[in-house]
Amino acid sequence: MSAQTGGAARFVGASVKRREDPRLLTGGGQFVDDVQLPGMLHAAFVRSPLASARIASIDTQAALAVPGVVAIFTGADDFPRLPPWWPSEANVPAQHPLAIEDVRFVGDPVAIVIAESRYIAEDACELVDVAYEARTPIVDYRAAGEEGAPVVHAELGTNLVAEMASPPDPALEAAFAGSDHVFKETIKSHRYAAVPMETRGFVASWNKAGGELTVHMAGQAPHVARAYFALSLGLPEHAVRVIQRDVGGGFGQKAFQARDDMAVLHAAMRIDRPLKWIEDRQENLTAATHSRHEQITIEVGVNNDGLLQAIRLDHVLDAGAYPAMPAEADPGLVAAWFPGPYKVPHFGFRNVQYYTNTTARGPYRGPWLIETTVRETMLDIVARGIGMDPAEVRRRNSIQAADQPYQLHSGIVFDRVSPAETLEQAVEMAHYAQFREEQAAARAEGRLLGIGIASYIEPTAFGGGRSMGIEAATIRIEPSGKVTCLMGLGSYGHSVETTMAQVVADELGVAFEDVTIVQGDTASAPVGGGNLGSRSAVIGGAVAGMSARKARAKILDLAGHLMEAAPDDLELVDGVVSVKGSPASSMALTEITQVAYNGADRLPEGMEPGIEETTRWSAPFVTHSNATHVCMCEVDRNTGLVKLLDYVVSEDCGVMINPMVVEGQISGGVVQGIGGALLEHIPYDADGNPLAVNFKDYLLPVADLIPEIRIGHIVTPSDTPGGHKGAGEGGTIGGVAATVNAVADALAPLGVTITEQPLSPSRLLALIEQASA
Amino acid sequence: MKPAAFDYVAPTSLDAALTALADGGYDAKPIAGGQSLVPLMAFRLAVFGQLVDLGRIEELQGVARDGDELVIGAATRQAAIAKDALVAEHAPVLAQATGWIGHQQIRNRGTIGGSICHADPAAEYPATAVALDATIDVASTRGRRSIPAAELFEAAYTTTLEPDEVAVAVRIPVRRPGEGTAIFEVARRPGDFALAGCVVRVATSGGAVIDARVLAFGVGGAPIRLAAAEAALAAGAGVGSQELTAALQADADGLTPPEDAQATSAYRHSIVVHVANTAIAEAIADSQ
Repeated sequence: MSAQTGGAARFVGASVKRREDPRLLTGGGQFVDDVQLPGMLHAAFVRSPLASARIASIDTQAALAVPGVVAIFTGADDFPRLPPWWPSEANVPAQHPLAIEDVRFVGDPVAIVIAESRYIAEDACELVDVAYEARTPIVDYRAAGEEGAPVVHAELGTNLVAEMASPPDPALEAAFAGSDHVFKETIKSHRYAAVPMETRGFVASWNKAGGELTVHMAGQAPHVARAYFALSLGLPEHAVRVIQRDVGGGFGQKAFQARDDMAVLHAAMRIDRPLKWIEDRQENLTAATHSRHEQITIEVGVNNDGLLQAIRLDHVLDAGAYPAMPAEADPGLVAAWFPGPYKVPHFGFRNVQYYTNTTARGPYRGPWLIETTVRETMLDIVARGIGMDPAEVRRRNSIQAADQPYQLHSGIVFDRVSPAETLEQAVEMAHYAQFREEQAAARAEGRLLGIGIASYIEPTAFGGGRSMGIEAATIRIEPSGKVTCLMGLGSYGHSVETTMAQVVADELGVAFEDVTIVQGDTASAPVGGGNLGSRSAVIGGAVAGMSARKARAKILDLAGHLMEAAPDDLELVDGVVSVKGSPASSMALTEITQVAYNGADRLPEGMEPGIEETTRWSAPFVTHSNATHVCMCEVDRNTGLVKLLDYVVSEDCGVMINPMVVEGQISGGVVQGIGGALLEHIPYDADGNPLAVNFKDYLLPVADLIPEIRIGHIVTPSDTPGGHKGAGEGGTIGGVAATVNAVADALAPLGVTITEQPLSPSRLLALIEQASA
Repeated sequence: MKPAAFDYVAPTSLDAALTALADGGYDAKPIAGGQSLVPLMAFRLAVFGQLVDLGRIEELQGVARDGDELVIGAATRQAAIAKDALVAEHAPVLAQATGWIGHQQIRNRGTIGGSICHADPAAEYPATAVALDATIDVASTRGRRSIPAAELFEAAYTTTLEPDEVAVAVRIPVRRPGEGTAIFEVARRPGDFALAGCVVRVATSGGAVIDARVLAFGVGGAPIRLAAAEAALAAGAGVGSQELTAALQADADGLTPPEDAQATSAYRHSIVVHVANTAIAEAIADSQ
């Protein structure tokens, strides 16, 4: 921690130890499963074992006879359909909490069993007798648009969710025609999942007499959830209280409420006792959202000098049966941001997405990251194709400081970004030239070493006047002189209790220890957007700082009155107000708060008692972070196993509140990218059965596989208050592409091209064997 | 992922345990470390009315030398085997095999008898037991018998034990002069079950291999002897020789490895030659 006092910033910029850690590391966290309410019951779901079927009948008699079973609800109990999250132009089916007539994926919730314990509930689930009439499912999204394909939602008459495309562009065609080379590949991303350490979970308690619903949840955005619950349940918003204390990760999966979540709340309102549902791991891997299942066919026109001329994308997505995000979100982001850190004169795209009889697509840390994976892996393919080093291709096409503000074809403007700078820093940190020499020597011995680069510019902290872009903070200087800051964030592990306190302490001029951040509870916090979209530091930090400045101004006004000094001549440092340059003339903050709260007769005329300030702020449309990743690996020729040798990130998230927290975000994100590139996969068989629904089959990255992740920083402040940019998702965004490129580079001497993940040993050894055959 | 209701007893004598198992019939199941059984029960892939915990029976614990054999109590924890001085001296490959099992937390609970009786086709101990010519002593209320490891494993998760029998001890011939052993496996991540693994024991005389046991695991239902390779080694084929390579390829071609989310059958088939070669080379080096 930075120790100097009196400076403008004492805590911002310092790697202050996380305030959350002592309680989390000693078992003192309060997760949703730690909530125990008197009379609480437990829920378990009966889920469809079939990918597509009609429900002929459900017999709950035997299950209801199990001692300890309190209630069983099915589709026949008419839980109302879910309202849409956002208006959408897409073909959207009705979503009911529990399946009515049809099941559409393995894991589809069919019944919810309420019992005295989870054990009893699961006993009873086995006795719920559901007669299914199986149908042929559509499992392969690439075939879902074909004539005669089984239709997931009969009411829609099609599997098409949405389609969008850029208008015909003769200049684009001309640019391809005029390019020295045109490369084309179809690059596929496989299905995997967010896999938060803590699964989804709820404890819902309906107070019938008071008309109040209290929901403890493992979520990401308490107020957003509250609004949705109120809308879904037909309650006024103020009658719903959402509480999320500690949450063990979400990564987007907990940002939207799914059908089974809503089934729990509806059930809780029909029984007169609190109800707990803790999703188990098998459910989480089966029935919570999956992500990243999509492909892009990309054409790149490039000249001999390595300069990009034109890019065209054909993007196809698997939405699953009940996609969690509005259809426009991910494809729109991919299309709008695709050219990323490079100057691409001409660009076109088409996007189409289909329903399938599989688990829903949902957001996962960098939900649009296929744009980086495809762009960066294709750049390496292009580099090999024209015989130019991949770093040099990037260097030649990179947006420079002098190019900014730089407007993309989509109208998005990049300003205050540093892709050329992070590229150079990353290449230098990776000892790129030296690695190339080592690689050449290793290749001469028959060993397969590889180095891969990935750069990106990442939209963070979306604003634009909607809920995600607006945040509030209330700062209360307590009568004790301590500071409480109430925020609408919903931390699921983001260190906001630490980072926001750093901002507030600096802006007020008090000790870090004297600031408490209260968040994650709609009863205490002002309405806010929660933790998602890499927004906490940018928007939360800005607004916490604004409220702190207002509170400080009031403190100085009051102190000036009491000390008979002009407020402008006063300063507040370490909780003491003094006349600048005359430290002897001072008042402790506690003396001032005593007057503020208990001495109204001593206040200046017109000043309200107390010191409590709220600011609500609407952030600008978007704030851009950027980074370059470099991954180095060796592929074992005999086994196809990948050993990562080194990993470097150079990033620019603007002004860092807490570098340790930033580096933690990046490291965790990179590991998730590596996991996606090498290990994590939920394949389906032809009948629509997911084949990796436990941790024996679903392979998460483990520490043994991960090298030290070395991180360098370029600091280009944003134009938002505080100068911060989001740092939550970038690690993952670059992690996939850098890893894929490293492996592809290792195998390059064999003449193979990698267009599909995960880079499992089976896949890599098959490529090696084919090349050798 | 909650198991169905079951009764639980934790007797302190083997006789009491055997009686409980005999009384329970097919509905009773012995539990040792529980590292495989408990997840199976949590998924409700296995349902038993009664668990008989073997963890508190003194007789089933510990490692001792008995003449030319090492006698390891069936409920001895894997973590204890990994650091046992007698094992290190007389059956070092068993300690090495232990290092490949799961993670430390798993080895702290898992037992040698439990691993052998569970007979996971990709587990290290069953193949190691066969490679070392181990014998498994088993007991029931009907009496005791000894089963050579080579006759214990019938198929994946299937042994020749009766439901009322429990493993009491694993007896392993102590390492003889000139013997060399090694284990090697390939897994996606450290601690995962092997995609293919191999345990090798060679006997040498004057530096030349005169006999060999080459046991592959993870590539079939039970530990599989790579007989052609064993014969080639006994006939003097060296590591990297055409004879040994051809023999290993012939052995590999006789396998029908499983396919799952972690690896294709073709992959397991492809790497088994490499895995066996690596273990053979290490075993021969170990014998010198």
